[in-house]
Amino acid sequence: MSVIGIIAISAAVAALTGVGAALGMSMATGRAVESIARQPEAAGKISSSLMFGLIMMETCAIYGLFVAILLIFVMPGQVPV
Amino acid sequence: MPEISIMPHRVHLLSTEVGASVVMGWCVTLLLIVFCVVINRRIRRFTDTPSGFQNVIELAVESVYRFAHGKVGHNADFCAPVVLTLMTFVSAATLVELFGLPPATEDLSCTLALGLITFSLVNITALKEFGLRRRVARMASPVFVVLPIRVMTDCVAPISMALRLFANVLVGGIIMKLIYSVIPLVVPAVLSVYFNLIHVAIQTFVFGLLTLNYTMEATE
Repeated sequence: MSVIGIIAISAAVAALTGVGAALGMSMATGRAVESIARQPEAAGKISSSLMFGLIMMETCAIYGLFVAILLIFVMPGQVPV
Repeated sequence: MPEISIMPHRVHLLSTEVGASVVMGWCVTLLLIVFCVVINRRIRRFTDTPSGFQNVIELAVESVYRFAHGKVGHNADFCAPVVLTLMTFVSAATLVELFGLPPATEDLSCTLALGLITFSLVNITALKEFGLRRRVARMASPVFVVLPIRVMTDCVAPISMALRLFANVLVGGIIMKLIYSVIPLVVPAVLSVYFNLIHVAIQTFVFGLLTLNYTMEATE
């Protein structure tokens, strides 16, 4: 297997953080909707803390994506091909 | 394959070399200063019954103030102007992407500077609220052992904000470039509404929200 191939596979593995972030986001949103349905008067507070949690999860996904981008666009220049 | 690089493009300027994003940052700053002067002129002619332009300005300022008040309480008058300035700069510096120019926020040093502004805002507000002794005491509660962990968490916050904004803008740009190189007709126009407009709006909101949230955590 060539070096470029290994870099491509490692970038794909790094981008798998998206799976975890998507699962977390779906769970958090589902629970938030449930709790709003149970207690609609708390909707404002629930959605603001949901927003904060979603941002944190999104950051996690973005880190994975960032590592993948670094691998694809920076690594090939660093190693002898 | 489109030309993609993590580092900003370098341009020659007055016998020295600076990043294209730095020049764009200066341009955006100049533009915003001119905009501010114009608004300052118009403010004297504002009336009690707002209309047109005055509505937009009042809506932006009032919503940020109200939002800040909900988060940081009586510190809102100190924090809200900074947050509004940061949000204006982030959105303006990123929206230049619509004109095909390199956005200033596509440079890690720019976003790190913005993150450090947030860091100083958080700490200055907390010091104003509690004073040095009580601030340290609050960070060391309930056990002294948590102090280094708290300090580390606080110091990582600006880096995390910088990386988040940088990676979001960079990835938006890369995705648009890839789409342009595959289908150069119609489709990029539709997708660019998301990647260049809604994405920027979300990131601007996120930046303001996080700044206020960190301030709230430090002062409550």
